[in-house]
Amino acid sequence: MTPANVDTLPFNRGRQAREAEVMLDKLVDEFTDNPAAMAYFYDLFRRVYIQGEALERPAAPQVGMTCIQVPEELIYAVGATPVRLCNGAYHYDQIGADFMPAKSCSLVKATLGRLQDQEMGVPRVGKLDMIVNPSTCDQKKKAGAMMEEMGYAVHHLEFPNVKESEAARIYWQRSVRDFAVQLQKLTGKRLTRKRLNQAMARTRRAQTAFRALHNLRKQAPSVVLGKDVFLVTNAYFFDDLERWTDAVEALVAELKERAAAGFNAAQRKAPRILFTGSPPVFPNLKLPLLIEEAGGVVVADETCSANRMLYDMPVVDEWLVNHMVDSLADHYLKPCTCPIFTRNDDRCRRLLDLVRDFEADGVVYQAYSGCQVYEMEQRSVGKVLNEAGIPMLYVETDYSPDDMGQLSTRIEAFLESIKTRKRQRAASGGQA
Amino acid sequence: MTSRLRRAVDNVDLQRFRFWFQAAAFVLFVYGGYLAVDLGNSLPMFSCGYNQEGRAGVCYLLPLQHQLSRPWPQLFGWAGIGVLTGFATFFLWFIVLNKGWCGFMCPLGTLQDWLTSLRKRLGIRYSLYGEQAFNRLTWVKFVLLALMFLIPLAIGGGLLSHDWGAPFCQICPGRVILPLFTADPLQLTIDYSSIGTLVLTGLGMFIAGLFLVGAFIKKRFFCFFCPMSALHYLISKPALLKLKKDGDKCTKCGNCFNVCDMEIRAIADDLERKDIMTDDCTLCLKCVAACPEPGALKVEFARINIFQATEEGFLKRMNKGAGHDACKR
Ligand code: SF4
Ligand code: SF4
Ligand code: SF4
Repeated sequence: MTPANVDTLPFNRGRQAREAEVMLDKLVDEFTDNPAAMAYFYDLFRRVYIQGEALERPAAPQVGMTCIQVPEELIYAVGATPVRLCNGAYHYDQIGADFMPAKSCSLVKATLGRLQDQEMGVPRVGKLDMIVNPSTCDQKKKAGAMMEEMGYAVHHLEFPNVKESEAARIYWQRSVRDFAVQLQKLTGKRLTRKRLNQAMARTRRAQTAFRALHNLRKQAPSVVLGKDVFLVTNAYFFDDLERWTDAVEALVAELKERAAAGFNAAQRKAPRILFTGSPPVFPNLKLPLLIEEAGGVVVADETCSANRMLYDMPVVDEWLVNHMVDSLADHYLKPCTCPIFTRNDDRCRRLLDLVRDFEADGVVYQAYSGCQVYEMEQRSVGKVLNEAGIPMLYVETDYSPDDMGQLSTRIEAFLESIKTRKRQRAASGGQA
Repeated sequence: MTSRLRRAVDNVDLQRFRFWFQAAAFVLFVYGGYLAVDLGNSLPMFSCGYNQEGRAGVCYLLPLQHQLSRPWPQLFGWAGIGVLTGFATFFLWFIVLNKGWCGFMCPLGTLQDWLTSLRKRLGIRYSLYGEQAFNRLTWVKFVLLALMFLIPLAIGGGLLSHDWGAPFCQICPGRVILPLFTADPLQLTIDYSSIGTLVLTGLGMFIAGLFLVGAFIKKRFFCFFCPMSALHYLISKPALLKLKKDGDKCTKCGNCFNVCDMEIRAIADDLERKDIMTDDCTLCLKCVAACPEPGALKVEFARINIFQATEEGFLKRMNKGAGHDACKR
């Protein structure tokens, strides 16, 4: 297979598509008993990533987001459609490498690489009328400026890097209000109480579905594998909100039946893993895949491509537009466990809570090489988990598939050690 | 409690429940007197004694100030027994509901909530004190409480004239406003008979006006300054109704703080304290209803869990609040 002219290649023979295809085939074919309702998601990724199909989007303005900190309810409310741009392709990572220093985060590079190709970049959403780039980590901040140079209209959403103080809260509320003003300018539609209420009801329904899925993962034996849940939450990045929610509700219904029937989606005595750190984004689901290929099961996660994106829900005391906007602002700041903040006690507590609730046997911590904030938090998180007697595997990696062999050996050893521990504990009379 | 009942309680539409509960309590305390209801004169909230006809019982602060202004020899002699029995009755009433008297019973608290509803109807946004003002204002109620003890004692000791009698009642908006509900405008006057009465009743009129305006723009405006609330807090340890927090389950999402009428930050940010009722709290329980984390906030009565935060309850209330029904769609 030596293509003569790259330009004439059909889309699905391109490097991006082949990378996606290899990953998707593994995610689907290497596992028996995939839930029937997952077919929607497998098909979606096949169409969008492998066939390069353009997404059906409403004709309204498209607003790209580079982070979960962007209040998407505001985007929906003014009649625009959000799409999350964080990219997981090694192909785009290599293209994006031209922009960033050698040792920088794959995710930032891949996102820039994807934006290079305005027309055919995957997922294809058509022309982006605005990109919202919150001022979170240094690499994202700088990437925002580069997107501007590429010709995109970028809104730099000012985000505080301390979240405890009242000053930070007020600053962020102002920043969000300003963003709402910019959005109204973009679409020419006024942000009204009714529109915002409707937008919030839509995301609330999606979050409710996600929470149901999340809660089902507490089941032992497991009714669903983590690789599937990552696909589901990754689809939230670009899928139509209602279609996505319908598909998740269907999946939840099926998993409930599985739970009632005592079905086990994983191997017997599969070690239960909590996944944390740099976000897995398709096609880079390398690490979750390796864990589950090796006989573990990812039962929960603390990442911004899944749990952190959908779990926490806003509250509204008075349904007046100003208050609703401030409530949304609070919701995007206060519970956030992103490592760009000064302190990480909230993140540590969240991890311990997830370990307890999901009866996790161990934690896998992924850090993309060059993602300093996750790399730096490794120590404090490891210490907290260690004190609680929970084993943690720290994995520094990137989007390249080269280290898969070496990683799989490490993961197997980690899972084996967990199993041994459990056996020993059971033998010594403690609870397994 | 069976699990079905448990679930029904945790799913309660608290806003509606509270509205009707408070309305019923308001009717009882402001008009119950006409039906010869008399719950004594040691009630731990502002069932105002100046509402002569309608009241179903009297706010403890009124008899307390009178008792304290007895001449010292009496006060520290036989009259002391009266003070102690009054306090004991007050204490017994109080420990049942704790500050729940504020969130559910006090007519003056309810009145403020009604003004809030009116504002909401009109689509006007509320104001907040903000953190700095909050930290400064939170002491005022303790100062008022201290003065409420010291001034009557000074009268009893002959240091001040009797014109300064029941000083807090003179400036309390309850005295001016609550009798109006039984068509008694008598308190709507300024008493020029002496400097003391002039100052106090003048101040009373001013504060009553401030109360109405303040409560319209700021939720529970007056409760920040209420000496009854300060007194409650000082004796709240043995109370039966308790607000509990489990810091391990809290995500610090701030939802509870967001809805709190009293702007109590600790309800979200304090992860250590199990007994999370603070001095400003009114035990309105809005925070419990707004918390999406199962068991992070709980209400206990005599150590029995009677209402707690649940995901399902949270979603029900949010969908309801937004006017959408989650189950359909
Ligand atoms: S704090 Fe408010 S509700 Fe409680 S007694 Fe005082 S006025 Fe009434
Ligand atoms: S609402 Fe619940 S989870 Fe959120 S900060 Fe308050 S107590 Fe914590
Ligand atoms: S802390 Fe809770 S119970 Fe107390 S006043 Fe605030 S919302 Fe009401």
